[in-house]
Amino acid sequence: MTDTVAEPARGAAPKGVAIRLGIPMLSAPAMILVALGLLLPLALMLRNSLNIYDPAELMISAFTLENYVKFFTDSFYQGVLWRTIWISALSTAICLIFGAPVAYFLARYVGDFAKRMLLIFILVPLLIGNAVRTSAWMLILNDHGVLAAILGFFGYEGELGLMYSAPGVVIGLVSVLLPFMIITLNSVFEAIDRNLEDAGLSLGANHVTIMRRIVLPLALPGILSGSVLCFILSMNAYATPVLIGGPTFHMMAPTVYQQIAKVMNWPFGAALSFILMAVTLCLTIWVSALVQRKYRKWSE
Amino acid sequence: MSGASANNTRWAYTLFSSLVIGFILLPLVFIVWMSFFSNKILSFPPQGYTLDWYTRAWELSDFRNGFFLSFRTSMIATLVALVLGLPASFALVRGRFAGRDLVNTLLMSPIVVPAIVGGSAIFVFFLEIEFLTGIQVAGSSLGLIMAHSLIALPWMIRLVTTSMISVNPSIEEAASSLGAGPLTIFFRITLPVIKPGVIAGSLFAFVNSFIDLEKSIFLVGPNSTTLQIALINYLEWNFDSTIGAVATVQISLITLLLLITDRYVKLSRAF
Amino acid sequence: MSEVVLQEVAKHYGPAVVVQNMSLRIADGELISLLGPSGCGKTTTLRMIGGFVDATSGKITVGGRDVTGLPPNRRNMGFVFQNYALFPHMTIAQNVAFGLEMRKVNRADAEKKVQEALARVRLAQYADRLPKQLSGGQQQRVALARALVIEPDVLLLDEPLSNLDASLRQEMKIEIRQLQQSLGLTTIFVTHDQDEAMSTSDRMVLMYNGKVEQIGSPDELYNQPRSAFAARFLGVPNLLPGRIVQGSFEMEGGTALRLAGQKQLVGNCFLALRPEVIGISAEAVEGENNLSGTVEIMTYHGAAVEYQLRTDAGLTLTARAVAPGLGGPEVLPKGAKAWLHWPASAGVIVSEH
Repeated sequence: MTDTVAEPARGAAPKGVAIRLGIPMLSAPAMILVALGLLLPLALMLRNSLNIYDPAELMISAFTLENYVKFFTDSFYQGVLWRTIWISALSTAICLIFGAPVAYFLARYVGDFAKRMLLIFILVPLLIGNAVRTSAWMLILNDHGVLAAILGFFGYEGELGLMYSAPGVVIGLVSVLLPFMIITLNSVFEAIDRNLEDAGLSLGANHVTIMRRIVLPLALPGILSGSVLCFILSMNAYATPVLIGGPTFHMMAPTVYQQIAKVMNWPFGAALSFILMAVTLCLTIWVSALVQRKYRKWSE
Repeated sequence: MSGASANNTRWAYTLFSSLVIGFILLPLVFIVWMSFFSNKILSFPPQGYTLDWYTRAWELSDFRNGFFLSFRTSMIATLVALVLGLPASFALVRGRFAGRDLVNTLLMSPIVVPAIVGGSAIFVFFLEIEFLTGIQVAGSSLGLIMAHSLIALPWMIRLVTTSMISVNPSIEEAASSLGAGPLTIFFRITLPVIKPGVIAGSLFAFVNSFIDLEKSIFLVGPNSTTLQIALINYLEWNFDSTIGAVATVQISLITLLLLITDRYVKLSRAF
Repeated sequence: MSEVVLQEVAKHYGPAVVVQNMSLRIADGELISLLGPSGCGKTTTLRMIGGFVDATSGKITVGGRDVTGLPPNRRNMGFVFQNYALFPHMTIAQNVAFGLEMRKVNRADAEKKVQEALARVRLAQYADRLPKQLSGGQQQRVALARALVIEPDVLLLDEPLSNLDASLRQEMKIEIRQLQQSLGLTTIFVTHDQDEAMSTSDRMVLMYNGKVEQIGSPDELYNQPRSAFAARFLGVPNLLPGRIVQGSFEMEGGTALRLAGQKQLVGNCFLALRPEVIGISAEAVEGENNLSGTVEIMTYHGAAVEYQLRTDAGLTLTARAVAPGLGGPEVLPKGAKAWLHWPASAGVIVSEH
């Protein structure tokens, strides 16, 4: 992530003042696109979330928290939120458990060229798009699919039942999120001085001890940011729950789409959107604080 | 490291990582393989092999037109992102002004805001414009291009600023002291140096626009469906190897673009 | 006894030979330095001894025990890294205690040993700080304390002084030497700096291209370099090309120079002359080797004056004379004609390679 922006040049060009005023203005066209194309619609949406839905008129201007109240009083929508949260937490945990060793492997045991190739292999499935990747998973997971055929070969005849189920959705999500986790953690592990591990070895520690006492404590902030990234992406996931989860497996993003585009209940859809974003944000902040407190304790 | 235990550790990591990477690649391998199955309904194992699904995918106008619409839209979106993103990146890296971090955050917001929420907001916004003015934006190619430009822009800016940061500003100062004006400096000095970042940014912007599903799903019209939407629409009623054929074409195209991108900028730096 | 013996130890990376069949015996309590330019294989050798790099072939023993196949954590060697490699998330005391913890030393004993180790490097009062709160020199001493507290059989130091500034380096050089001698610890010290090696070591191993170029005491290496590379690396700027003809040295161009007694080298070789053995005078000196030349550059160094002269045969030589104020000859200006002279015994014949 490129949050670091370099210090600008100190030396003033001959027409220094004009240039200094001019440079910030160069970002104006892009800002206009983002402001008109996204920020204004979002602001309108926030306003819409306070309106009232009407089947005939679509939307009646109002100033009410009714839509938010509806969400928190309707057990169906709370169920949707809970499902989204635990599916996301579970997928993130699985990504961490499976992604961390791969990231460490790439950082420590693989040569430069091989690493570059492997990273491309890991990224291609991410960038071929949700539609293609998810349909591929449908192919594997469905009851007459690849997995069923393989299990059938070994004598398992029962129904797989992975399509339209939570395990299927988690498998699909993990396969999208793993690349993010691996790439984030890989750069975290690469930033840890290899000599620290050698120093641990020379002092008599074995690999497990070195991981537990040296590498993981140092990688913790990075592990946190990788997990937060995966959690957010999974909270917002749309294609996987829709295609693998099917019409009865409700998660937040598909519900938002349903309300906005199908039911045309814009106020409630808007409220759902903001609840989704707010809950995601709060959970991330809470977990970060928790981990950081723990981290501080370790370093003492 | 030396010794048997170190070698065991190494093998354990290698084996585990191979399995995980295999899991990530698994769907790709199977969908490409299955695109050649002759089975009428997608199932396993293959009854034979055929190329018919590719012909069929081409004959289905949804896929053919979807591909061209996606390609065209993403090209234009990438161009827009290039024209708006280059100066913005320059401002972010070389400018010193109050609120620079805020501008940076806002320009990145299309990646940060959940795609489906962004899509919803844009969709409702377009419909409200239509109610007010009677101009149809949702479902029009203008609306689609705008949404896709928003998808492309942050990736362009992210990759271009990354490569611009590594340029020492003193080379621009040197050009300036030799008498070059700001435009000359940009086109003769800065741009050639950051060219890899610009190429990688363009390719990455294109790919991310091309594969977008969550924003496009709100904005496509009956006669203007992008390839991703065509895919999931088709999936709703059919499940045969046509999907595999389309997927294989898309996988090949994107893998090619990613390999080219990687020649210019380490791919993992894009995230 | 922790005598370290390397028998025909080699390291290959594919076709690249990084260390070529190296044999070396390091006596118990000896401090030996591995010296050479970067890429000569000295660090790889050290890492093979430490166990971080697998030897492709050969055998390493410590006190008679074969350690070749052992991982680093079972070799009981103290290793001090170039960048110190202190654990950034642990305090100084925790860093030093880590090795004891791994050896399951009980808490009370460990605490005592940590205190002693920190006291030995004069850092007792910093026990609760984090590494980043210490200066480079202090971090270096923590690294030493951490390596020493486990009572290693061998101490390995990888360019331990290269990240310190000049005055600290001087101080640490002495400190490392004193610690090593007081503990009687077999120590291997990798450096690219010949001064560092000379002032700390009992013996020096000069390496080049993965091979041992010369082994000897600092005095031997300084005064009797065997090859042109060794002479150059040990700071001899003057290497006169030529060959030995009937007991004297014949320079290219035919001038014969007298040698003191020695050497039966066949073929091309060099005559190495340290700047301080070359005298400068207006007249040729009877009984010594003489070459005439012109002063090209004169630089004043306080106690000495250094001349760069071009001989009539076209060779550039460096000579160092005592400054006039300390009883040396008059300073010769640029362009002056002068005689360079040195006693026959001052020159050292070195091989071409």
